[in-house]
Amino acid sequence: MLPLTLLNTSQGHPMLVELKSGETLNGHLVNCDAWMNLTLKEVVQTNSDGTRFFRLPECYVRGNNIKYLRVPDEVLDIAREKNQQQREEQRKSNQPQRGGYNRQYSSSGQRGGYNRSRGGGNVGRGGGQFQRGGRGTQY
Amino acid sequence: MENTDPSLLPSIIFTTAAQLVDCVDKKLLVVLRDGRKLIGILRSFDQYANLVLQDTIERIIVESMYSDIQRGVYIVRGENVVLVGEIDPEKENSIPLREVSLDEIYAAQQDEIDNRRRRELTKNSKLVDIGFSIDTQQEDMY
Repeated sequence: MLPLTLLNTSQGHPMLVELKSGETLNGHLVNCDAWMNLTLKEVVQTNSDGTRFFRLPECYVRGNNIKYLRVPDEVLDIAREKNQQQREEQRKSNQPQRGGYNRQYSSSGQRGGYNRSRGGGNVGRGGGQFQRGGRGTQY
Repeated sequence: MENTDPSLLPSIIFTTAAQLVDCVDKKLLVVLRDGRKLIGILRSFDQYANLVLQDTIERIIVESMYSDIQRGVYIVRGENVVLVGEIDPEKENSIPLREVSLDEIYAAQQDEIDNRRRRELTKNSKLVDIGFSIDTQQEDMY
């Protein structure tokens, strides 16, 4: 399950965001997007020395300023369960379509990430330029 | 000429994050640009080398001493990662470092920071004397 997918499933949960500046923001994740931009609520902002604290009812963080995020352990388990549920549902919805030429992989729109459910053949799609070399043995 | 034949070069090695596939579910040491060392199990990554680490500890190392802090689950933004290394489970119990308490390591760390700052100041003042201008910012602390 991709890092940004984990981030999406942790919406509503508390988390700690450390910025590149060293400041930390503790709050509940309201929303996030593909660039790691976040909106948080009930935030406690701490400066990099840990000496000053600010309370913000809401806050927006531009993704490129983030160093890392820490999420509660439960969130990872919840995200895994959801992932499994999704895969089962897709499997069920794929079943009645037999009899024709049907090559559906259990794709969930994820690009360029490592996903254990696949055979590993999609790694590095984000870069893309170097995969089709020579004799095109990929197909 | 054989070395430049593209059909002989394994194209997989040119895809940046592809190598992390082998590291999933392994215990890794991740060094960040701010000098922090995180040790955790890699659960996933993406094309930007953003990482998800589970059961992570932050290890503070000063000279020959170290101390660990339990941290949990991290989502690390890829651009902040300097390097990632696999931890050998057999060797990790016999590291040449001595474990100390958090208070002790924080004190030692503060000393190290103060010394570094003092050295920077004297170095900069000497450089200014010779005619250099000091316009570099020490951004990456690793």
